[in-house]
Amino acid sequence: MSFRRRIRPARDGGYEVRLGADERELLSALPLQLVTLLDDVGERPSSELPEILRRLVPPAYTTDADAERSFMSMTREDLLEHHRDALQTMSATAKANWIDNDQLVGWLAALNDLRLSLGSMLGTKEDEDEPLAAQTHPAEWIAYMYLGGLQSEIIDILEETLPDPVPGADDLVPDDLWGEPPGGLRWDGTPQPRDP
Amino acid sequence: MPSGSTAPAEVERPETHEAAAPELPWLVIVWNDPINLMSYVTYVFQKLFGYSRPKAHKLMLDVHYKGRAVVSSGPKERAELDVARLHQHGLWATMERSG
Repeated sequence: MSFRRRIRPARDGGYEVRLGADERELLSALPLQLVTLLDDVGERPSSELPEILRRLVPPAYTTDADAERSFMSMTREDLLEHHRDALQTMSATAKANWIDNDQLVGWLAALNDLRLSLGSMLGTKEDEDEPLAAQTHPAEWIAYMYLGGLQSEIIDILEETLPDPVPGADDLVPDDLWGEPPGGLRWDGTPQPRDP
Repeated sequence: MPSGSTAPAEVERPETHEAAAPELPWLVIVWNDPINLMSYVTYVFQKLFGYSRPKAHKLMLDVHYKGRAVVSSGPKERAELDVARLHQHGLWATMERSG
């Protein structure tokens, strides 16, 4: 198979980007549309936002409105700034033939943000090959699928750049708090009761 | 590195049970969603929490097949920080008190 990678590590530590003009056009324009939409978010709770924005600012507390308000006032501005930075980074470098590692990390975040927005708008469901939206919003559906493919490629690349696992980190949470594995440890480090 | 020094600070248990009951830790939960790619969720767990790939993969599968997974736990401030970092990465994370 002669699958050509669109993004690949370059010798100097950066990444070579090989995309068509129409792809670059999309990756340059689409993020800016979302940045514009983000201006309307402000301090509104995610439940009051349109579907297309809701997934970008999820709640931390679902049963404690006071705690959620306080969490939101502490984190919302940073979160929006994080989204904007990534989207603007991808837009600004979409026509470059070479990007550095930080920019590629920005691309990954921007692609994910765009997919969260588009996917929510399209009403994407689990294990659904082609939702109704594929017919009603074909352009958005094609963009959604395209962005997912590109994102997958970038994940494969960035996975290789992750630092070594932190010793002991795996033991901090159980594999499954709600049951499995029998005989294993619960979340607080106490043994899971074994079957008699 | 001396043996035993690798025990993560977060799992230290209180010395005694005499004092006022220690505050219950908070659980950070990631919920399943139909948009985030499985490989992306695994990558984010490794990046944010330093998990090995098999551990991150297992947690991702829990999220995918069971609908949710606890990905970290600790004091409230720590849990809020983890939730905020997960939100920055587009994951659907909430927190609740254990127990």
